[in-house]
Amino acid sequence: MTRLNANQILALCLALVAVGYLAMAWQIPNFPLPRPVDSDLFPKVLGFTLLGLSLLLFLEKPKAQDTPDELDADEQALPLLMRPWSRVVITSIAIATYAVLLAPIGFVVASTTLCFGLAWYYGYRRHGVNLAASLGVVLTLYLTMTKVMGVYLPTGILPL
Amino acid sequence: MEAFNNLMYGFGIALEPMNIAYVFFGVFAGTIIGMLPGLGPISALALMIPITFAMEPSSGLILMAGVYYGAIFGGSTSSILLNAPGVAGTVATSFDGYPMAKQGMAGKALAIAAYSSFIGGTVSIIFLMLVAPMLGRVAVSFGPAEYFALMVLGLTAVVSLSDKSLVKGLIAAVIGVMISIIGIDLQTGTERYTFGSAHLLDGIDFLVVALGIFALAEVFYMLLRGGGGKEQPRNAIGSLKLSGKECRAIAAPIGRSSILGFFTGVLPGAGATIGSFLGYSMEKRLAKDGDTFGKGNIKGVAAPEAANNAACTGSFVPLLTLGVPGSGTTAVLLGALLVMGVTPGPAMIESRPDVFWGVIASMYLGNIFLLVLNLPLIPLIAKILDMPRPLLLSLILIFCMIGVYGMSFSVFDLLLLLAFGLIGLGMRLFGFPAAPLILALILGDIMEESMRRALQISGGDWSIFIDKPISMWLLIIAALSLILPLVKKAIAGARA
Repeated sequence: MTRLNANQILALCLALVAVGYLAMAWQIPNFPLPRPVDSDLFPKVLGFTLLGLSLLLFLEKPKAQDTPDELDADEQALPLLMRPWSRVVITSIAIATYAVLLAPIGFVVASTTLCFGLAWYYGYRRHGVNLAASLGVVLTLYLTMTKVMGVYLPTGILPL
Repeated sequence: MEAFNNLMYGFGIALEPMNIAYVFFGVFAGTIIGMLPGLGPISALALMIPITFAMEPSSGLILMAGVYYGAIFGGSTSSILLNAPGVAGTVATSFDGYPMAKQGMAGKALAIAAYSSFIGGTVSIIFLMLVAPMLGRVAVSFGPAEYFALMVLGLTAVVSLSDKSLVKGLIAAVIGVMISIIGIDLQTGTERYTFGSAHLLDGIDFLVVALGIFALAEVFYMLLRGGGGKEQPRNAIGSLKLSGKECRAIAAPIGRSSILGFFTGVLPGAGATIGSFLGYSMEKRLAKDGDTFGKGNIKGVAAPEAANNAACTGSFVPLLTLGVPGSGTTAVLLGALLVMGVTPGPAMIESRPDVFWGVIASMYLGNIFLLVLNLPLIPLIAKILDMPRPLLLSLILIFCMIGVYGMSFSVFDLLLLLAFGLIGLGMRLFGFPAAPLILALILGDIMEESMRRALQISGGDWSIFIDKPISMWLLIIAALSLILPLVKKAIAGARA
């Protein structure tokens, strides 16, 4: 059996999305009064269009730009936590943790920790400059948003 | 005379002390963000939205317009100094700018870029001032069918002019429209694709998507490519002075490329990138020393720089007069205006002259600031390129997060931002263009509303879209914009 190329795998995923989208479009309730066009028409058009485009993508030969470039071999040889995809995963986990902890511990502490911690993790070793830059930018943003623009940001554990 | 009076009214607004400060801040911030490789005008504008949403609409747009043309200009600095264009519209500048820098003439190249951008920008503002109100008067007669067709054309043009796959561009556009219809249907009150979540009843804010698929995805991409930590050595800046002979040599290319750039910018889907390439190739063909292009020819810097700034101003024409953005960048601007409570379109020139003429007048000011800022500060601004990449990446993340949280105060939106960042990364890795998605997301709502209103008027008869001549022609052009590249490709394939 021939192996599917990148475009064909993507096309199958998108076709699944389109089918799910269409199934949900058929569940959109009708408006009680008769109308020439109801809420479900546009989603149905979109669902079928995506399905058709998935078919075209399935038939399209992938070019160089359609598949990810090879990652740097030196980078791949780094310890697991420092490898390129690990950096993306750890950054994503850090963002999700930040989102959850933002309200309880406050904007200033959460943002400074995230900024300092990620810069350190990405390899910046001048800790004094890192802390000064992270705290400086976060405090400037915090004061601009709260004092100048009147936007509330959670104070959390700091009595600001 | 009427245009002159209106412009004077605009200057009254643009010269208010706060607005002068906004123009200055806008071009300065835009120049710096545009210089950073990877962060283009779309990311720059998306990062600015949280700052502008509490402002007067005229001040907000003045700031964002400054950021836009500042970013286009800033991109030329990294193109010339590092051969790493911060913005796609300045790629052509690097063809001759970087060779000039390698020959120790970086200062001269940056000065030519500054003068050309200034002239290109100024010439196109004059055209904008004259063309936009005329087009606005025509657009007043547009009904829902014409608007629907115009939006279809805007989308297909952006898709067809992208350098990526046509099918993938269309898929991105369809997904953008799909995201735009999440939430309560305002015409019937029906919930669509909310999955029972109260967070999705109001739909997904375009800022979450824009910051996710542009700025956050860019950070992820840089992390995959080694954190962008491999710094390149920077060449000495050298003198900024131009001789009389050099000024005469670049005068005509700047003039021609300014006009070409403006009209390229007006076309939906074209914009700064195509404008700059057209300007460059036109001058290469016209020049007697065309064979020295690519080796450090000053005309090779002047032409794309004049064209890209002119195109940037030109792209305001469809946005301000028709309310239909012709590019991803102006789509973000449209979104920002909607957030501020202003709906651009033909009526805006009459109903919000402060916004329309204030922005036009501020562009003159912004171009002067760009010149004043960039010439003396070139050596200093270039030092920003030395900012450690790890610190820069984490700061961009913070800007994204505060941008989203400051708008919605929602943890759910922060998680959505992360999701769109990962989707944006996937799109980038697999060659899906992001601009059609964001354009479709902004236009989706209005497109559906126009389509449904047109069909309601016609009693459900779809022929309304081809019965009306303007709508029919717009749809024909939209279809041609998709078919012609395929035909061209097929002919090229047959010849090969």
